[in-house]
Amino acid sequence: MPIRTPGRLAATVLTAALALSGCGSGSSTSDPNSLEVAANATDRTAMDAVVAAFEQANPGKQVTVTYADTDQLQSTLRTQSSSGTGPDVFTVWPGNGNPGALQVLQPAGYLADLSDRPFAGAIPAASREVTQVEGRTYLVPANYSGIGVLYTQPALTAIGGQEPRTWDELIALCGKARANGKVLLSLGNQTPWVTQLVTYALAATTVYADDPGFAGKMAAGQVRFADSGWRVALEKYQELDRAGCFSDQPLGTSYENSLKDVAQGKAVGVVQVASSLAQIRTEAPGAELRMFALPAGNDPAKVRMPGAISAAYGVNAKSGNPDLALKFADFLGSEQGQNLYNEQGGTLPAIPNASFRADPALGVLDQHLRAGTTVPFMDQLWPNPKVQQEHFSQVQKLFSGSATVPQALEALDKAYATR
Amino acid sequence: MATKLGSRRRGGPPTAPWWFLAPALAFFVFVVVVPSVQGAGYAFTDWDGITPAPDFAGLDNFRTLLDDETARLALVNTLLAAAGITVVQNVIGLLLALGVHARIRSRTVLRVFFFAPAVITPVVTAYLWKYLYAPEGAINALFAALGLGSWQQDWLGDPDLALWSVVAVVIWQFAGYSMVIFLAGLQSIPQEVHEAAALDGAGALGRFWHVTRPMLAPAMTINLMLSVIGGLKLFDQVWVMTQGGPGGATDTLSTVIYRQAFQFNDFAYSIALALVLTVLVAVISAVQYRGLRRREDFS
Repeated sequence: MPIRTPGRLAATVLTAALALSGCGSGSSTSDPNSLEVAANATDRTAMDAVVAAFEQANPGKQVTVTYADTDQLQSTLRTQSSSGTGPDVFTVWPGNGNPGALQVLQPAGYLADLSDRPFAGAIPAASREVTQVEGRTYLVPANYSGIGVLYTQPALTAIGGQEPRTWDELIALCGKARANGKVLLSLGNQTPWVTQLVTYALAATTVYADDPGFAGKMAAGQVRFADSGWRVALEKYQELDRAGCFSDQPLGTSYENSLKDVAQGKAVGVVQVASSLAQIRTEAPGAELRMFALPAGNDPAKVRMPGAISAAYGVNAKSGNPDLALKFADFLGSEQGQNLYNEQGGTLPAIPNASFRADPALGVLDQHLRAGTTVPFMDQLWPNPKVQQEHFSQVQKLFSGSATVPQALEALDKAYATR
Repeated sequence: MATKLGSRRRGGPPTAPWWFLAPALAFFVFVVVVPSVQGAGYAFTDWDGITPAPDFAGLDNFRTLLDDETARLALVNTLLAAAGITVVQNVIGLLLALGVHARIRSRTVLRVFFFAPAVITPVVTAYLWKYLYAPEGAINALFAALGLGSWQQDWLGDPDLALWSVVAVVIWQFAGYSMVIFLAGLQSIPQEVHEAAALDGAGALGRFWHVTRPMLAPAMTINLMLSVIGGLKLFDQVWVMTQGGPGGATDTLSTVIYRQAFQFNDFAYSIALALVLTVLVAVISAVQYRGLRRREDFS
């Protein structure tokens, strides 16, 4: 019996579609001489230096690095990992709190256990919480960054000021800057991730100076954002705004423009991650840059500074070339690898060593690191990425007057409690 | 019996042989239909984008949607933006078309000039406008130079203004696109009809209302459809200029979908939202299409 046309059409289409979908996915290469690495575009200079030295030390081996921006990298790595085509070594964010973080990727079995590698034992105790899962090491940390006020010395001198050591000195300095036709701190709160930096810089002191175990207590449900030092931090964030410390329209100012304000001398400084030093330098070559911790109280001994591993790498558990991948991870974790990675980037080695010559601007971060008065970036210990995004949104609402501090804290607690 | 190309079935339109259609249809099924249907299925699971075998979650994601204030705000923003874009873009597009349809010497140059923004990638124009909109950017600087200091605004930082600032960029970019479609419609209206109306004593306004407007109905249908669909899917410009901020003031359904999937790992919920957006676009487009076609027939 002849098949009617619509039926034949459907059968042909279905067959062709199934045939097309049968074109399966590939897998990562297993050439013993080549290695694939995926890294964040912000780490290009640092990673290129490490790769060049690794290839020189291992003749005949070739390392291909693919760079991508954070969002793109996170989504691509997830897709590649779940389909078994991931690169051999790739950027993994320490701790938790974002889609490419250790706590997200490790439970899915995508990361090789690095506990027995030579660098694992040398990772400082303060960084183990964000490089380990259940006592096993899965990351080779590459650099250590901090959050503080990056400023140009000539601009501070021009307003007749000096680095503030207390909250009162900080507020007075804001007035001094205004009196001299500048702002003390440029603020680019149009760019969501920038909004968090001032809160972190303040919360390091208002939350952690008196309660270093706050993050653990929060995870155990014993404390909340609402009735903690976070309230003080957000209130002080607003107080800085009222005191005229920030740029006039922070919600309309982007990250790039905030750095430009510093480079052009319109602002004395900016609350930023240490790695932004390099970008300010490109805008203002030869500028004398310095950094201080943002004081949040009047006792200088209690000032804390957010400091944490910023970039870290994991080895693909299903790498087609595990020996070379582990060798590369070892090199990244070695003294030579750490120093090469951090010489250009305006950061400190995540695994400290005596031979590294730090950028003078990073002196304050180095001091806090050695004194044990740094606090991990708060989002690295949050249980899901929603808390961080909610924080961005609430800070913008605080600045536009569409939320109050209690409402913002309530929203953060709600986000923390979601799955 | 073999079907012949161009044959007619009881006076209907010509039909193509099925094998002629099959390769393209197979490709469409493979690239669009199969992944879409497979993807839609994930809206009823708790898939996080990584787990190979997610659990069935029924209608949980759709229930979450009802309580999600961010999604509700994004829906309102999406509808406002789509309405704003549709109305203003088409009014400006029509005025531009009428202007460059007139017998003026510079009309060819003007057509190119007005259409030029439409050929640039939206992401690029959004970056440009982000700089123009900055507190010390070109727009505020221009107002200051003209002695209009009080007109200066925090264009993307003021939550009451930010969405409309983004909408203005979309309109600036695509009004020329609408213009081209209207212009094609205008050029298809025979000159004799205008002349006859003029002989009958119709003025310029009367000729526009009674001759041009009804005969432009097909162009109007295409333009309204395209701008409504474009407005409902608004993403690129928002993401580049504000990422949905400040505080969600410019979030659209598309930015929320992106954030849920790629920043929150909540792929299942994101897909549920995307399904809702798809249905919304389909229903609004269908209703609009029927309404406009009826008006065309009437015209």
